[in-house]
Amino acid sequence: MTTTGTSTERVSADLVARVIERLRGVLRPDQILTSKTDRYNRARVPAPFPVHRWRERVPDLAVLPESTEEVAAVVAIANELKCPVVPRDGGTGLTDGAVPLRGGIVVDVKRMNQVHELDLENRTVTVGTGINMLKLNEQLATHGLIYPDDPASYPCSLVGGRIGTSGWSLIGARYGHTRDLVLSFDLVLPTGEILHVGDGAGGKISKSSSGYQLKHLFMGHQGTLGIATKATLKLYPKPEAELSPFWAFDDYDAAYRFTGALARAGVATFAGAVLFDEYKVAYLRRDDEAYIPQPADVRALTCAVLYGWEDEVRVGGKRLFRIAKEHGARYLGDEISEGDWAARHDRYATPLHGRTKTGQVVPMSWHCEDAAVNYTNVPAVTKAWHDIVADLRRRTDVFDDWGMFAYTSADTGVDYLTEIDVGIWEQRLDDDAWSMWVKAKRDIAAAALAHGGSISACHGSCREGEVDLVPRELGRGFDVMLGVKRMLDPNNIMNPGKYLLDFAYQGDVSAQLAELRNLP
Amino acid sequence: MTQVEPTPARDATRPDALQRPFTPGAPSNDPELEHYPETVAGPVPLELTDRRTAEFVEQWRNASYNCYSSGHKFCREVCPVMQVTRNESWTPTAFHANVVAMEKGELEIADIAEDYVNCTQCGACELRCPNTLFTGDFYRFRTRTVDVVKAVRALAVESGVHQPNWRTWNERTNDRTHEPVLGETEISQENVRNWADGLDIPIAAPDRPSETVLFVDCEAAFYRTAVPRAVAQILQKAGYEFGLMGEQWCCGGPAAEMGYVDQAKRFARHNLDNWRSTGTKRLLVLDPHDYISFTEDYPKYFGAEFDIEVVLVVEVLADLLAQGKLTPTVPVERTITYHDPCRLNKRKGIWQEPRRVLRSIPGLTFHDVDRVTQWSYCSGGGGGLPVEKPELTAAISEKRLGHAAELGVDTLVSACPWSERPLSEAGDAKDIDVVDIHELFAESLGITVGGSRGSVGDERRGCGGGGCGGGGCS
Repeated sequence: MTTTGTSTERVSADLVARVIERLRGVLRPDQILTSKTDRYNRARVPAPFPVHRWRERVPDLAVLPESTEEVAAVVAIANELKCPVVPRDGGTGLTDGAVPLRGGIVVDVKRMNQVHELDLENRTVTVGTGINMLKLNEQLATHGLIYPDDPASYPCSLVGGRIGTSGWSLIGARYGHTRDLVLSFDLVLPTGEILHVGDGAGGKISKSSSGYQLKHLFMGHQGTLGIATKATLKLYPKPEAELSPFWAFDDYDAAYRFTGALARAGVATFAGAVLFDEYKVAYLRRDDEAYIPQPADVRALTCAVLYGWEDEVRVGGKRLFRIAKEHGARYLGDEISEGDWAARHDRYATPLHGRTKTGQVVPMSWHCEDAAVNYTNVPAVTKAWHDIVADLRRRTDVFDDWGMFAYTSADTGVDYLTEIDVGIWEQRLDDDAWSMWVKAKRDIAAAALAHGGSISACHGSCREGEVDLVPRELGRGFDVMLGVKRMLDPNNIMNPGKYLLDFAYQGDVSAQLAELRNLP
Repeated sequence: MTQVEPTPARDATRPDALQRPFTPGAPSNDPELEHYPETVAGPVPLELTDRRTAEFVEQWRNASYNCYSSGHKFCREVCPVMQVTRNESWTPTAFHANVVAMEKGELEIADIAEDYVNCTQCGACELRCPNTLFTGDFYRFRTRTVDVVKAVRALAVESGVHQPNWRTWNERTNDRTHEPVLGETEISQENVRNWADGLDIPIAAPDRPSETVLFVDCEAAFYRTAVPRAVAQILQKAGYEFGLMGEQWCCGGPAAEMGYVDQAKRFARHNLDNWRSTGTKRLLVLDPHDYISFTEDYPKYFGAEFDIEVVLVVEVLADLLAQGKLTPTVPVERTITYHDPCRLNKRKGIWQEPRRVLRSIPGLTFHDVDRVTQWSYCSGGGGGLPVEKPELTAAISEKRLGHAAELGVDTLVSACPWSERPLSEAGDAKDIDVVDIHELFAESLGITVGGSRGSVGDERRGCGGGGCGGGGCS
């Protein structure tokens, strides 16, 4: 089935002309981009899609605002003229949040990358949401501070996108994830009004119990509830020591048991553990010079990372190594451990690792499907997902299994971000292959739900396929989502077509929702 | 689209080869892997009607697809143009994605040409690309953004799509055999060696062969003449024999960078013929841009016919230092940092020798910034950017000087004449002097350099005093 409740209606040329004319009253000419390349290059995120359908996603124009007030003025005009608005930050998300589905205006916030205030006493920094975390940390380093939000896209994603997706951080078990690290922010609502939202009314309050807790509502909405423009972030001392040991195992089960033991150990400097399954290790062997030249009996890996002062990291590390000994883990040595962890952002997408089943090298796009799964269900979900991808590979070489990671989300080991990396030979991706993939995505999401998980720990779940299962996952919560959307965005201009939110404007949709909730 | 073959029935109760992890291509793999049918037909490829575009796409589609499909965009925050414009249309990923869109018939050369002005060809994006970092050794792979940018610019010129200032610049270069680096002030073949006045350097001719010639780029020969004067006098002091070209034309590199490839080749041909006629076997090059032309473009144009040895002056100097043939003794009381020229550091991996030279100079306080951090630094002076968009060059230089100012230095040392004009202008606003490494080294060797350090440099230092590399000294 195709996704219900969406339309692909485009903005008329006449409306585009009127929008541009009005925008000229609030922005300089160089902030309004209308050329083909300006638009084509703001239609994409890294997630593969049928390239021959690129034009369906191209916006009508893009704007480069430089302040909250300019964003508000743009959105107010769009709301008045009923023209779609799509917020775009880094454009590095994997669930198409920044992809325009119905044309309109892309609001690209990259020019809002200033550091507005550094508060050394309260340990906060207030920034424009167009700033990148790595660049921010270059500035913070001179003060011995760090903003520890560390996604795979750390060198290029932006603070605003982290808010819009409620991002997940590799070292979140120690420092928390984006929702914990962003204290408050300015948000332009779909009507063009400006909202400051945080814990309570405060700019720098980390815990308030005053009123509804609205901050979470305005994080992770994938740009459907507004555009974050300025944020106040929580800072930590830049860690003096990092320990990132990698251990090898004969099989997945042993590595899995060990990963759980590490996460449950309660070591305060523990920032995360990563489990590499047997498919992932087989994948890494495609280029064992650049990766891990290991003997054949290395079939699964676990790595852990600790951050803090040197004295506390040393003690915590000793405890983890003791647990490793009890589990028969084989330490891979300092060089591989330090090097591989340092390369954690770069190793994800390597198009040159794409292979047909018989070993021909073909350039493939990386895609990653994720879910949040409890520790006890990780092996079952892992198996189910590999089976789904194996079924794709039985039919075609357009898809390739690049293995799975499971990462601790929290400091207690309660749940894991599980991800399967799938190589997709985009040059060969036609409509048939795309349908296969959309169905596989839905099956992947269904497997996570069947095992008590959530469709996504990290990316969001508004892409074709998986999105069909969101009403099932959220239950009555999805109806609340529709109500909130209708109230805040009366004209459905803010990133329309995402998250099945068109249902908010279609009267009684209980029959459609029931159908979605009964999907196999 | 139709399915190619029906999916065969499979005994679902028995695990097949795909239900176990394997590394494709491994000899131990289950032979069953060879017998799965392919059921996806693939999209119908588009027939591009424009011959030039079709050829271009055929040549570059896979190189660009390797970027497009990765989608990392790690290049973005190291790109000097992106850092000052924050415009995603002018990023390395966009430059590759446009090629993919051309293959799909969505974009034409006329749609994209103007965007490709916004690149200094510094190469930072290629280094920061995970494809280069992670698969470079194993697959002998490097992301090739600079080549893609050059190819798009060439396609534009061939297709009659010109950028106005580039067209004028190259027409004037063609008329004068040198780049019009002095604006309206006339430059020509007659005054290409004026910088060397009084230095008594032999000039090569068919009856006066010169095995080694010093090639001086247009900016240094006409604008920052202190640089070649410093180089020449250092080499003379070390007893290193060299001459000047009989009839030197512009190396052609800038024309190639802006897409005027035929002109670039014509200039290259002239220079090669001239070297041949004077028995020249070795080129001494002081400018990193020339170094790229001679080590990358000329071999491409001439293949095996180009058998001239190309030597970078700063490497020669580091060598002469190591051999004890040069010993700097005059203290230079400056607090400096070093600007890694993009074409040395990012494109050629040359970063050690300039530091060796600087560390040999007594009196200097040197606040060094490592070469990897400097991947994201640039002067904005390359790739024709200052000709078409001087305001971006100025903004990039201003950013570079901002990094220098944070170190509390009074001097930024570069090793690239093309960077020194915009850097000097930005440095003046921050009261930071911009000096060429050869000028500084010459001073420490007790050489009175003479020549001009450009208008800003000459104003700042005036004349007189041992530190002078500026105009008016003799």
